[in-house]
Amino acid sequence: MSEVETSVARPKPVRVRPPPNTSRSSLSRMENRAAYWFLLPWLAGFFFITVVPMLASAYLSFTDYRVLKPPQWVGLQNYVAMTHDRRLFVSVGVTLRYVLISVPLVLIFSLAVAALLNRGLKGLAIYRSLFYVPSLIGASVGIGMLWREVFGARGIFNSFLALFGIKGAGWMSSPGTALYTVIGLNVWTFGAAMVIFLAALRQIPESYYEAASLDGANALQKFRRITLPLLTPVIFFNLVLNTIGAFQSFTQAFVVSGGTGGPVDSTLLYTIYLYQRAFQHLEMGYASAMAWVLLATIAAFTALLFWSSRFWVFYGD
Amino acid sequence: MASVSLEGLTKSYGNGVLKAVNDLNLEIEDGEFVVLVGPSGCGKSTALRMIAGLEEISDGGVWIGDQFVNDVHPKDRDVAMVFQNYALYPHMTVFDNIAFALQIAGMPRDEIRRRVEDAARTLELTDYLKRRPGQLSGGQRQRVAMGRAIVRQPAVFLMDEPLSNLDAKLRVQMRAEISKLQRRLGVTTIYVTHDQVEAMTMGDRVALLRDGNLQQVAPPSVMYDEPANMFVAAFLGSPSMNLLWGELGEVSASGTTLKLGGQTLLLTTEKIAGLRRLGAYANRAVVVGIRPEDIYPAADRPGATSKIRSNIDLVEALGSDKVLHFSIDARQALVKSSDSLDELNHGEAGKAHCVARLNARTPLRMGDDVDLVFDTDRLHFFDGETGEAIR
Amino acid sequence: MVTDRRLDSRSLAAHRRTRKLRRNLRGIGLHAILIVLLIAMLYPVIWMVLSSLRPEDEIFGGLGLIPKSWTIENYVKGWQLSGNPTFAAFFINSFIISALAVVGNLISCSMAGYAFARLHFPFKWLWFALMLGTIMLPIHAQMIPQYIFFLKIGWVNTILPLVVPKFLATDAFYIFLMVQFMRSLPAELEQAAVLDGASYWQRYWRIILPLTMPALVTTAVFTFIHTYNDFLGQLIYLTDVKSMTVPVALRLFLDPSGGQSSVGGLFAMVVLSIAPVLGFFLASQRLLTKGIATQGFK
Repeated sequence: MSEVETSVARPKPVRVRPPPNTSRSSLSRMENRAAYWFLLPWLAGFFFITVVPMLASAYLSFTDYRVLKPPQWVGLQNYVAMTHDRRLFVSVGVTLRYVLISVPLVLIFSLAVAALLNRGLKGLAIYRSLFYVPSLIGASVGIGMLWREVFGARGIFNSFLALFGIKGAGWMSSPGTALYTVIGLNVWTFGAAMVIFLAALRQIPESYYEAASLDGANALQKFRRITLPLLTPVIFFNLVLNTIGAFQSFTQAFVVSGGTGGPVDSTLLYTIYLYQRAFQHLEMGYASAMAWVLLATIAAFTALLFWSSRFWVFYGD
Repeated sequence: MASVSLEGLTKSYGNGVLKAVNDLNLEIEDGEFVVLVGPSGCGKSTALRMIAGLEEISDGGVWIGDQFVNDVHPKDRDVAMVFQNYALYPHMTVFDNIAFALQIAGMPRDEIRRRVEDAARTLELTDYLKRRPGQLSGGQRQRVAMGRAIVRQPAVFLMDEPLSNLDAKLRVQMRAEISKLQRRLGVTTIYVTHDQVEAMTMGDRVALLRDGNLQQVAPPSVMYDEPANMFVAAFLGSPSMNLLWGELGEVSASGTTLKLGGQTLLLTTEKIAGLRRLGAYANRAVVVGIRPEDIYPAADRPGATSKIRSNIDLVEALGSDKVLHFSIDARQALVKSSDSLDELNHGEAGKAHCVARLNARTPLRMGDDVDLVFDTDRLHFFDGETGEAIR
Repeated sequence: MVTDRRLDSRSLAAHRRTRKLRRNLRGIGLHAILIVLLIAMLYPVIWMVLSSLRPEDEIFGGLGLIPKSWTIENYVKGWQLSGNPTFAAFFINSFIISALAVVGNLISCSMAGYAFARLHFPFKWLWFALMLGTIMLPIHAQMIPQYIFFLKIGWVNTILPLVVPKFLATDAFYIFLMVQFMRSLPAELEQAAVLDGASYWQRYWRIILPLTMPALVTTAVFTFIHTYNDFLGQLIYLTDVKSMTVPVALRLFLDPSGGQSSVGGLFAMVVLSIAPVLGFFLASQRLLTKGIATQGFK
């Protein structure tokens, strides 16, 4: 109650007004407080599960640390040692081959199948689900174990080749082919990328194709001149996602090779080597340095992709 | 129930460079129905949202009853709002939508049930209480939104273009229903709309905003008959008021003359008696306004002294009446940023497009030459520079 | 005139027939390509399912799918591979971890998502950018110190290292998903709730969360699948046989010599291990599409 009657000519209450701006600060302060309560779990996780361990790992990478004794500061020694590590170079080669072969294949398969599915076929939903099934289970240990059997010396892949009179070897046990079976397993899971492509394809307005038809374009021209350019943002998205994922790939090569990265280190992905150094040899300092090199490599590849996107990704509107 | 006062209410953006609402002063009495009207972007919704507490107040203050509410949380202001898109909770039944505020307030279940059912009966929603908003028609959703507001028995209703999502026929019906409901409940209501018909028919008073500035507050008929400036004049009325440049002659005992292009009208003393300040504009250019319904064919007004000769560009027969588009030899006066001005107003100098609304049985056709009479009792005069009405 | 028109319509009908035929042929061709591809892709899985139901010595008898004789012996053998504990324990461990991860992600990610999507607070853009940054971060750079920390506090061989982080919204991707979804809900809904007297918690819990159902279902499904399939984390933290989950336990089928102890038993357990994933996916498909549409608005 803050009313003082001072009737002059026209009776109008003079109201005592509190100083301005109090409302703004108190109401928005309330919202800030609420926001941080909602963020609290994430903030805790961000600091204690992500930031602090990353800093710790950066520190450990400059130490000799084998869990039982406290870490010993060794400066750049771990990084220097990496330049003499023959197995490390092997694992880098394996990883690059794995990434550079499987990622393009995943993109090509997923885009091709999505384009086929997008032609107004009946049963689209069923096809989409079935093609997606490998993505659901492909990362599991069970499928890795299955893969060993399928591409083993007496596996059904060789039974299939036998139909054509070809006698296959043990695809898993030969250093020349082992990595390609693992790559095949990654390509097998193209369904996830396909679903994304399919969603993007269905966003392209039919009228573009109708206009192109009136302009006399055939199916291939429509795909090249309309579909592909409009799809470049999604291609880029899938490319970045799959590249980052492929660098971190671990389970399948690990399971297929029985945890060794063999035969003869032919499936020794960088992550597998890192795991061996960290958790089998307990060389936590060296493994931390390896982890930071991996982080830097992924960051560099991602940056490269973003830089290149300026030249080929088309953002409409 | 309570009065609402706005004092110097201001909303500014970008460090005060842009003002969505500028120094709005308005006293709304207890139980009054006030319509805030104006073209889109005039700040009317922003003003309403500041009253509700959904928008920060940059300057000035809001009182609801005797309480200064700038500091008060929206939920404690005792206001209920009806949103343009209704903002019904899609996952709740109609009952829960209406009951939500009462549930939050922790009211006993029986009391909630009783009040929701009362509200539903008032709004003829009883049969729909178990449905979800998605299963209702547009008109029913609108009524649920109303129900949500009335069930709380708030001090003030705030309505933000509540009818703009309805089709034309339903809008007419709901317009009447909301008016009736408000009269019956007697709750102070602030109603925002861009629709001048709603403004004219629903409110006890109308407040017209333009670019954040209040142009005039008055009962609808007063605002229509005595617009405070050219903008108000042009905004209200459809087709809108014809605005022409004219020149006043010497103001003498016998009256004065008004030159519209090549033609001259005689204004007798009694006709301009109420316009005390008109003398100051003798021998000067003024803007003359005349509403379309104040123009007649000379044949219907045999006694008229001054006629205006013109040629008919177009006749639109609306059934109930006929809208006549014609050109006269005069210069058009334009009001900037009004969204209800006809396209036809953008004519070249010396050829002003005018509109008249005539009896449907008037036998006039496109291309005819015709003598028209401007009802000189009902001319409006405006200062050509400020746009203010001359009275 | 009349005959002309009839002639015309007859030729039109013929034309329509050939066009329809051509379209049908093209459709059949497309279906054929897709079906062959699907069979080639899914054949190993189907073969494994059927092989798990045939006697061990029949498994590598060629490409044939249908067993000559049916048996569930493989399931019995595989289930008890490690004696005690049996796969029952591994499945229970896997389900407990996955279920808790789902609960954790649903709560923590939706809370963070609500703050990012609908509340204002200082440095919001900075926090948001940091949150997005963590999506791309490889776990390897955090994995080692995390392991050392959990080892020191005695959490190794418990489910805590795998579950507690989920309650702290470390799967930032799902936060992003929630933010995207919650941002699309009309602001008026919450403003109406504010005027109705709802607190921030009530706005989140009673208005926003029920309307975010599609994103919540998506989060639940994928959290379940990813956690259930996850290998690296479980490999590191669950080394004791009693605490093992299905993925880790499946490796018990590997002989140290590199061979396989029991292919039949392995196949049986692999079939059981992927069944929950496929089941969860199939069940959620309907839910995903049925998610409450944002009706109630014009």
